Amino acid sequence: MTPRGPLVWRTATIGAVKEETPHARTLSLEVPGWPGHRAGQHVDLRLTAEDGYQAQRSYSISSAPEAGSVEVTVELVDDGEVSPYLVEDARPGDQFEVRGPIGGHFSWSVDEGGPVVLVAGGSGLAPLMSMLRHRAARASQADARLLVSARSPRDALYRDELEELEPRAGLLVAWTFTREPPPGWLGFAGRVDAEMLTAVGPGPQARPRCFVCGPTPFVEHVANLLVDAGHDPHLIHAERFGPTGG
Amino acid sequence: MTDMHTDGNGVAGLLAEVLATEATVVRRTCQSCGDVQALGAHRAYHGAGVVLRCPSCGDVAVRIGVHAHRLTVEWRGTLLMEVERAEDAGA
Amino acid sequence: MAPISRGFRGRRSDVDPGRLPPGQYLTPDFPVLSAGPTPRTDLATWTLTIDGAVDEPRTWSWDEFLALPSETFTVDIHCVTKWSKLDTTWTGVSLDALLDGVETEAEFVVAWCDGDYTTNLPLEDVTGGRAWVAHTYDGEPLEAEHGGPARLLVPHLYFWKSAKWLRRLTLRPDDEPGFWESVGYHNYGDPWREQRYWSD
Repeated sequence: MTPRGPLVWRTATIGAVKEETPHARTLSLEVPGWPGHRAGQHVDLRLTAEDGYQAQRSYSISSAPEAGSVEVTVELVDDGEVSPYLVEDARPGDQFEVRGPIGGHFSWSVDEGGPVVLVAGGSGLAPLMSMLRHRAARASQADARLLVSARSPRDALYRDELEELEPRAGLLVAWTFTREPPPGWLGFAGRVDAEMLTAVGPGPQARPRCFVCGPTPFVEHVANLLVDAGHDPHLIHAERFGPTGG
Repeated sequence: MTDMHTDGNGVAGLLAEVLATEATVVRRTCQSCGDVQALGAHRAYHGAGVVLRCPSCGDVAVRIGVHAHRLTVEWRGTLLMEVERAEDAGA
Repeated sequence: MAPISRGFRGRRSDVDPGRLPPGQYLTPDFPVLSAGPTPRTDLATWTLTIDGAVDEPRTWSWDEFLALPSETFTVDIHCVTKWSKLDTTWTGVSLDALLDGVETEAEFVVAWCDGDYTTNLPLEDVTGGRAWVAHTYDGEPLEAEHGGPARLLVPHLYFWKSAKWLRRLTLRPDDEPGFWESVGYHNYGDPWREQRYWSD
C-alpha cells in the first residue's frame, strides 16, 4: 500500500502556476524521482533563504495519482511565512524541496469502494479534490458526496471543475457559504450543521467512510456532528490544518 | 478559544523519519483508557517538540524532541504495526 | 545542499545581531506553543504552592497572590524552536518575594503546572532577581494561551523553562528532569551557549 524506503527531501521546480482564486494558487511541480502518491496524501514543503534560513509547511497534493504530476494548492494565510511567498512571489522555474508522499490514514483509493462523504473547510478541499479527480480518472461509480464550506464564491476553489464533474462522474456536490453567498443563492448558508450533513448523506447505516479536512476548529465541529449523527468514529478520517488553515 | 493542535497526519513526515513504515495508520492501544486509534487520528501539539495525545482520553501517547540532527522519541501504549517487506526479504 | 528558493526571506525582522543568541531569529508575533490543550482554571479555586524541602509549605489563593508585591519589567525571550521576541513587558511577583524567609537546603526546583507540564531548574537560577511568577503581559491580564492566569518566567533560559499555568514549585535536594528535559532537551538550557539538546 505505501511506498517503501525512507522519506527523502527532493528538489521541486515549479513548472506552472494557476491562479485559482484571488488568494489561492495551484503550483504544478516537477519532482525528479517522485514515487507516486495516493489521493489524500500530502507533502512537506521546505523553502531555503539565501542565508540558509528554512521554513517548512505541509500541503496536500491536489492532483490525482493518475495525473503524473504533483500539484499543490496553496491558500494565502494572513501574516503567514510560507504562503505569501508561494502565492504572491513564486514563479515557474523557482525551486524548493518537498518530502513525500506522506499520510496513509488520510488517503483513499477507488479500490476501497464507497460510499465516501467528503467535507471540506476552505483549502481543506485540496486533498479531497485529489480523491475526486482520482475517482473520475478511474471512471469509478463509487457513491461519493462532497460538502464544501467557503466564505464566498470568490474563495471557492475548483468550483467550475466540480460543477462539471458532478453530472459527468455521478457525484453529489453541495456548497455552503459562510460570509457572502452568491446573488440569488438558494443553497446552504452559514456554518456546516447537522441538517446539511443529513441532506448530503448518506446516513450512518450505509457506513460511509468520512473524510473531513480544514482548519482545526472546523474539523472538530464537523467530526462531532458526524459522531452525533451516528457515524462510526473509526470511519471518520480527519486532517486538521491547525488554527489558521495551513 | 480553540486549541492550536493539529493531528498525527500533520506530523507524519517527522514520524516517517523514525519508523520504517507509514506511521499514520499504526494502531495504538492507549495505556490510560485502552482505546485503539490510528496515530493519524491522535491530536498533535507543538511545543518545544511534538506531543501526540490519545484522541479519546487526552493522555500523552508520543513525545518527540525535535533537534537539528536528532529526534528523541518516547512511545507510550502498545503499537501494532504492519511493515511491508522488500521483495528479497526472505523468510 | 538545499536549493535556494529565489527571493524567499520569511517573516524575519532586522535586528542588532548582538541581541540574539546564536541560531535565533526575531519574530514579530508571539507564537503559542504547548504540549497539550490550554487548561482553564477557575480563579476561585486557583492556588500557588511552594513545597518540598522547606520547613513550611506556603500556599496563596489568587487574591493573596495578587496582593503580593509585583514588579513590571521588560525582558527578551528566546524559544528553543528558534524564535526570539525582544523587549517583552511583564508584571509579576519575583521568586525572591515568594521565597522570602523560606529556609531550605534545596538546590533544585521543579515547577508543576495545570495540564501536567513540568520543568526543572537550579534554585539559584530562579533567585537573585532572575525569575518571576508573571500574571500580566503587555499591561493586560495574561491570556490563557500564553500561560494565564500565571506562569513562571525565567528569561535567561530557553522559554520552555518559563512554565505556563504554574501551580506549584517543589524545592528538592536533587534534580528531576521535567517534561522536555526527559525527551532530549538540555537540562539547563542557556540560549547564549545554544544548549538545546542534551548533548550540547
